[in-house]
Amino acid sequence: MPEYLETTLDKFTFRVATDRRYSSDGIWLLDLGGGRLRAGVTDFVQQHSGDVAFATVRAAGTTIAAGDEFADLETVKVNLGLPLPIAGTIVEINPALEASPEVVNQDPYGDGWLAVVQAPGWEEARDGLLDPRAYLSVMQSQVAQELNQP
Amino acid sequence: MSSPEDRIVVVPCSGIGKTFGSVSREAAYEVCDELRPDATRLLALSKLVLGDDEARERVRTGRSITIDGCKLMCAAKLVRQRGGVPVREVAVLDVYRDHKDLKPDGIAELNEAGTRLARVVAEEIADTIDQVRAGPTAREPSHA
Repeated sequence: MPEYLETTLDKFTFRVATDRRYSSDGIWLLDLGGGRLRAGVTDFVQQHSGDVAFATVRAAGTTIAAGDEFADLETVKVNLGLPLPIAGTIVEINPALEASPEVVNQDPYGDGWLAVVQAPGWEEARDGLLDPRAYLSVMQSQVAQELNQP
Repeated sequence: MSSPEDRIVVVPCSGIGKTFGSVSREAAYEVCDELRPDATRLLALSKLVLGDDEARERVRTGRSITIDGCKLMCAAKLVRQRGGVPVREVAVLDVYRDHKDLKPDGIAELNEAGTRLARVVAEEIADTIDQVRAGPTAREPSHA
């Protein structure tokens, strides 16, 4: 079970798991060892986007360039393309997504993971990603921006 | 025609301000006002939230069907908390997954796809009502 940083803004509470790295787009990557990374979306992304109706991940074996989309979420509010922060190949897709995509809302850092990626450049790329505190700060700015919108 | 006591209680979620909540309420109206008016009774979830004695007794002793917009399943949970066991717990989101072309939009007024989705939900519930009334009371809920 990961530990979390937590912040409450307005009436919303958001958690950030402390055991992984993040992109500013709200994609997390958890190091599984051997260049394998589990990927998913943050608590902020899932709350901001709403209930997930469909979650679609590119097929296993697909090679994704850094910044290209590896998955799509269709929620009750938006259609989201999710960019993979580093280059890699999809090696596993969460089987729960097909029948119960709401798992992304229910447990974004756990059972709601999206894919496992084999990323040979992980060691070099890791430091270019956000640590949990840095992501928390970015996320707080994004929330504040949302709340200040007319 | 059923006596008031025999009618199946239909409990839509509140979901105020949410599109899928609006679909659940629209579906409930369709069932109770148009499709099976003689077999159903509409119950506002807010009455259960507020602890209204008559509403609580109705779901505790009678047969109920809940309709929730999202998978938080507030209506189903509230009915169970008040001692009821719904014969069916419908999630609009699940029905939408089977009818991807019917993406609802709007809150105060649903778009055409949302209205059609509400109709699909309502027809599924009407079928369930017919089955329940034709056979023994189910005790285990089936999810949409």
